[in-house]
Amino acid sequence: MEDKPITKHLPLTEATYYILLALVTPKHGYAVMQDAEEISQGTIRLAPGTLYGAFTTLENNKLISMVGKEGRRKIYQITETGIRVLLGQIQRMEIMLQSAAKNFDLWQERTAEEESHD
Amino acid sequence: MTNELVTKQKWFWAWQDEKEEAWLAEMAQQGLHLNDVPFPGSYQFKNGEPADYVYRLDYQSLKTKDKDSYLQLFADSGWEQVGEMGGWVYFRYKIDHGEAPEIYSDRESKIGKYQRILTFLAILLPLMVVMMPNIGGAEGYGPFFIILEALAFAIMILLSFGIIQLVRRINQLKKTD
Repeated sequence: MEDKPITKHLPLTEATYYILLALVTPKHGYAVMQDAEEISQGTIRLAPGTLYGAFTTLENNKLISMVGKEGRRKIYQITETGIRVLLGQIQRMEIMLQSAAKNFDLWQERTAEEESHD
Repeated sequence: MTNELVTKQKWFWAWQDEKEEAWLAEMAQQGLHLNDVPFPGSYQFKNGEPADYVYRLDYQSLKTKDKDSYLQLFADSGWEQVGEMGGWVYFRYKIDHGEAPEIYSDRESKIGKYQRILTFLAILLPLMVVMMPNIGGAEGYGPFFIILEALAFAIMILLSFGIIQLVRRINQLKKTD
């Protein structure tokens, strides 16, 4: 199994998770900024200095790569390794969510309430 | 705008970036808008209408191939670049509706900036230490030699002070959220 190389990248920070998710399709920096805010439902807002640093780190770790240019903008996309890391993170989050469902009474009550309202 | 240029001299140390940012914003409220930083400690302003701007300084060692996309990312996010000086990049953001814009949205990346400055100063210090015995060459202990040594020593003290200030800033940031 090729899991060993990816576990060193996990867990991802929330910001990194959304950046990788946004880059499943190729985008330039500002598009990632807007996308991340939208798909995180406003929980993640990336400032340009932070995003630039994240791109540098992710590129160095080969989780994203530059796939083109649009004028002065670099276009990035997630790499194969990046996808494996993303899936690894989602797997971890699924386990976290299941643990809440099984072990956190308040969560069970709330989800039961929501289901009865539907 | 009158397009008149006003130059002011003011010195900020590398660890006084927030003070510098506040001063530039204050100038903007007086109608002086940063146009260029031609020399260290020298600020060129355009005289115009008072306005609300947030100034932020970034510190980067940008390779030529990365610079364009870096500046474009800031421009796309609404930050106007108004100058650069030795690794420092000056940005400003016009405030219309009470925004509080930042160039770093999380603690880790903000710490990264101060670590870059720290690294730069930290490299200078051993360089000075190595250079000190060599100043003056084989001339011995003439007055010129003593002055150079004193100067080198003063610079080392200053660098050490700066390094301490930056380490304190980084530790402060590590404690906050």
